[in-house]
Formats: sequence, C-alpha cells, structure tokens
Amino acid sequence: MMILKMKKEDLPAFLESAKQWGELWGPTTKEEQTAYSKVDGLSQMDLKATRTMIPPKKFLYPPRFTMFDFDEEGFVERTGDVPKRILFGLHPCDIHGILIMDKLFLETYKDPYYAERREKTLLLGHSCIPDDKCMCFATNTDFVAEGFDLFFTDLKMFYLVWVGSSRGHDLVRMRADLFSRNLDKNDILNYTEYRKWKTAQFKAKIDLTGMPDIFELGYNSPVWDELAEKCLSCGQCSMVCPTCNCYNVVDEVELGTVEGTRDRFWDSCMFREYSVVAGGHNFRDKRADRLRLWYTHKLQAFIGEFGKPACVGCGRCVSTCPVDINVATVSKALKEQEVGK
Amino acid sequence: MTKSSPKIGVYGFTGCAGDQLMILNCEDQIVDLFGATEIRSFVMAKSDNHEGELDVALVEGSISTEEQLKHLKEIRERSKILIAIGTCACWGGPQAMKLGDGKYEDRYKKVYGNAKITISKAFEAQPLDAFVKVDMKIPGCPIDKQEFLKSVSKLVAGKHPYLLKSPVCLECKWKENRCILLDGKFCAGPLTKGGCGAVCPSHNLPCVGCWGPTDDLNVSAEYNLLKEKGYDPEEIITKIRKFGGSGVVELVKDLEKKGAKK
Repeated sequence: MMILKMKKEDLPAFLESAKQWGELWGPTTKEEQTAYSKVDGLSQMDLKATRTMIPPKKFLYPPRFTMFDFDEEGFVERTGDVPKRILFGLHPCDIHGILIMDKLFLETYKDPYYAERREKTLLLGHSCIPDDKCMCFATNTDFVAEGFDLFFTDLKMFYLVWVGSSRGHDLVRMRADLFSRNLDKNDILNYTEYRKWKTAQFKAKIDLTGMPDIFELGYNSPVWDELAEKCLSCGQCSMVCPTCNCYNVVDEVELGTVEGTRDRFWDSCMFREYSVVAGGHNFRDKRADRLRLWYTHKLQAFIGEFGKPACVGCGRCVSTCPVDINVATVSKALKEQEVGK
Repeated sequence: MTKSSPKIGVYGFTGCAGDQLMILNCEDQIVDLFGATEIRSFVMAKSDNHEGELDVALVEGSISTEEQLKHLKEIRERSKILIAIGTCACWGGPQAMKLGDGKYEDRYKKVYGNAKITISKAFEAQPLDAFVKVDMKIPGCPIDKQEFLKSVSKLVAGKHPYLLKSPVCLECKWKENRCILLDGKFCAGPLTKGGCGAVCPSHNLPCVGCWGPTDDLNVSAEYNLLKEKGYDPEEIITKIRKFGGSGVVELVKDLEKKGAKK
C-alpha cells in the first residue's frame, strides 16, 4: 500500500489517460436515479450521489448472461468477449461488497465467468458523503483498506490516492507527473479531520452488535410472520443487495435443433420457486421462512462462517423496499419483538 | 424436418386473437416454426386444416359458450399436450375480472336485454383449466414472442420448457428502474408473472398486470400498501382483478373477509 497526493483539478486528465487501459464507467444521475454508466470523462459523472440503485456486482456478474453454447458434440465457453473496464467512483461499501463476492466466487470453487470479469475490471474507489440510509458504520465497512486498485479520498483541494494493486500503480505511472509522494503534516491533519467528519455524518439508528445471538433466540419469533404479511415477495431486495449472489441456470435451444445456450440470471431466495426441489417439495413454502433465511444469511450465518456480516451497510434495501422491510427495520423488529409501522 | 416433426394445432376462443397473431408475427422465425413442426390446424394462418391427433394444442382465449366448451374438450381428447396461450386462456382475461361475484346474469341482461341468442348458450368466461387439464400456461397480453418460441423450441427438442415464475419486478430491477410503488402509484408488478422484460415500467408506466398472477402473490400486502398511499379500496381491488381472473378470486375473497372494501 502506498498513498499519493493529487490536485483535484488533475482528475480529468488522469481519467483521460486511464482510458487507454479500458472503458471508463462511473456513476451518472438521470431523473434522480443513479446508475453506473459508460462515460467519456469526469464531467458526465455524479460523484456526489450517495448510491447507485444496482451495485457494481452487475459488471462482475451480470443480471443475465450466456455461459456457453452447446450442440450435440459438446460446448464452447463464452469467455473472452468481456471488455476491459475501469469502474470509477466506487464507495467503500461497494468495495466491501465485491470482497464478499470474491470470497464466494473465487475461493473454494472458482467461477470462470466471474473470474474473467474481475480480471478485466479495475476498481477505482472514491470517498463518499453518507446520508440517513447509510449503515456502514454498523457493519464496519465505512472505510476500506483492500480490494481496490486505487482509492481517491476527497480532501477539498487534493485527493489522497491509495494505491492498492500493481495494476493501480500502472495507471498512476501512465501520468506520474500528476501524483506526488510528498505528504506533509497538513495532509495527516486533513485526513484525520475527514475521518472525524465522515463518522459524524451518520444519522441512521442501527446497532447490529449481538445479531447472531438475536437471530438464534428469535428463530421461532412471531415477528417473522408479521413481516411476511407485509412482504410483497417482489425480490427487489436481492437484486439491489451487493452481496446477494444466487442465480438460476436455464438452457435455451434453437428451434428445430439441439443447439443452444446455457444462460444464467439473478434469482432470489425470496421467490417461492427458488426452494422447490425435484419432486415438487418446497423447503421454504412459507414467505416467513424465506424472509428469515434472507436475513439470517446476512446477519447470522455469514458471520459464523466468515467472521463478518454479509451486509455492507449500503442502504440499498432501505431505499428500495416499498414496504420498509430492510436490514435496519428487521434487526430492530427482532430485537424489540415488534414490527414497526 | 422429418416425419418426427410434432403435430401442432392452434385454436382460439373468447379473446382478441392477439396471441395467434403474435405467433404469425414471429417474422424471423416463422419459416423455421413451420419447418420444425407440422402445423395441422391454424385457421387464422391457413385454409388447409386437418383436425386429428395432435402432439401439442396451443389454445388461446377463455371459454364462454357451450359450443366452445364442447370444442375445447374435443381438442383435449386428441392432444398429448395442451398449452394455454395468453392471459385469457390462462386466467380468464379481463372478461373474467368479476368471476364468481354471482352477478353474471345481471350483466348478461344489461348487455343483451331480452334478445334471443340461439347460436350457443353463453356463460361466465373462465380459463381453460376450469374445464380441462392444462399442461402448461404461457400467459401474456399478448404472449411474448421470445418466451413462446423458447417454449416451442424446447418442446420440439423433447425438453421441458422453462418459464420465468418470478414477478415483473425481477426484470424491472435488472433494467435499473426506480420502483413505481415508492412514488405511491399503483403498480401490479409484484403480483404479476414476469418474462415481459418489464416493458411498461421501463417506459415509466405502471404494470397493469396483463400477464396474470405469479405463483406467489401477496395480494393483501399490495392492498394494504396502496390503501396507506391513499388509494380507494374498491379501485385497488378492481385493478388487482382486471387481469387476475381465476388466479385472484380466492385471494380477493380472503381480503374481503378481513374487512377490505364492501
């Protein structure tokens, strides 16, 4: 790890040079909705937006894609046609989300489709301005120390730039003239001040300490049934969650042949069909069971296995669920044994 | 193709014939479709039709007369697989939006008065599965070309077709649309079977539910949410029933038992 300093006004020139590596993508806002889009440069980006609706997982693991083409003889992988991309403006929670995806898709069983996209994507983080839905302070994901290629912390006149990988360093070297290694006392003071400022911004009332115990105690709580009465089973929570990674796989064939494609698309354990097995039995036929699974997975089981929750506190479930079922309200309901209005 | 091409018949009952039209509208694949299958009967498409044993019958429309019912049963008897195509065949369609309210006779009188209808005795429109075994439902208003072709391609290859069961919201989120319900507008997305590509919400129009219910809709959650947003209870129920047909009759009854509407 190395920290450099860059003048704010030099960012457009840096991004312009970085485009030699691959397509530049960043957060853009249209009609109050922010999404990662392909951009020409900084002027099209909205770096003040708190969160995109869909997290950057869409680049590493697209909503629907073809894995391979098959015919009677065998199959040919559809790898190799993924463009090289630079994602600029990722917030610490987004990067923590990708680190969790990495655990699932790159460790025990390496997923070739995820691995290829990950390899062809550079992650350039950017500091953020928390809003009242941000919960990253409660999941310990408000700052990030790994997982990025570069990370830009906005200190008004300057950026402090963390170099997190050799590929990130390569981008820096393409415009070494824009970066300085001369950090002084003021930079340290400014950075300390920034951390204090950011920590003071959080307004959400959430405390996730002791959640594994609360979930264990609340396994048979009537709170789950009450939440299930409200739940629309729309699955939006899973689509917007940076750590939801479940998918369905289907084959499609060309008419009149046995040639076709094997496709993969985002699924959700909130859907009834998700837990139907051969023979028609459904392990989680009740909506309450499905809700409990989703939240238990995020706030209990994952902690047991990986030592941290599978929630990065991004607040997307808070800003998306039409009936206010989200990490904040569910953990509160479970602790207080009452579903809030 | 060879003699093993599946024999297919396409039929229409009470509906707008839009699903049959959509089959004909598969412009790029229509030649392949007629090549990969043996279309024995398709009155809308051709004049040389033969009624006999079928591998697959594709049936559009709801059933609303004695004559149609007789014809449907006859098709069922000579078909190995019967597929309901379109929301009318699957759930009854808008003509079944008041299904089971006990006021069919009144409505009939209001429209036809004392006119003598001698062609065939009419009754309240119902989906195909109210009368015969339906092996598969491909809903839609009209059906989606791709979903239809994918299903037929699988059948021709001797495989089980796969249809998305999840609600419209799945694809709606893939398209990064803001949830219309968040803005307090009625959107039937969570109640409605997906696969349409969330086409209406992607044009900032709420889903009206034209593909019919999903296999797991929470009608009372949608009702309560919209009531809270200030919607008139009767209007919510009317909108839920518009395309819900037989799929929501019992759910709406439960809702009314719990005190909704009236």
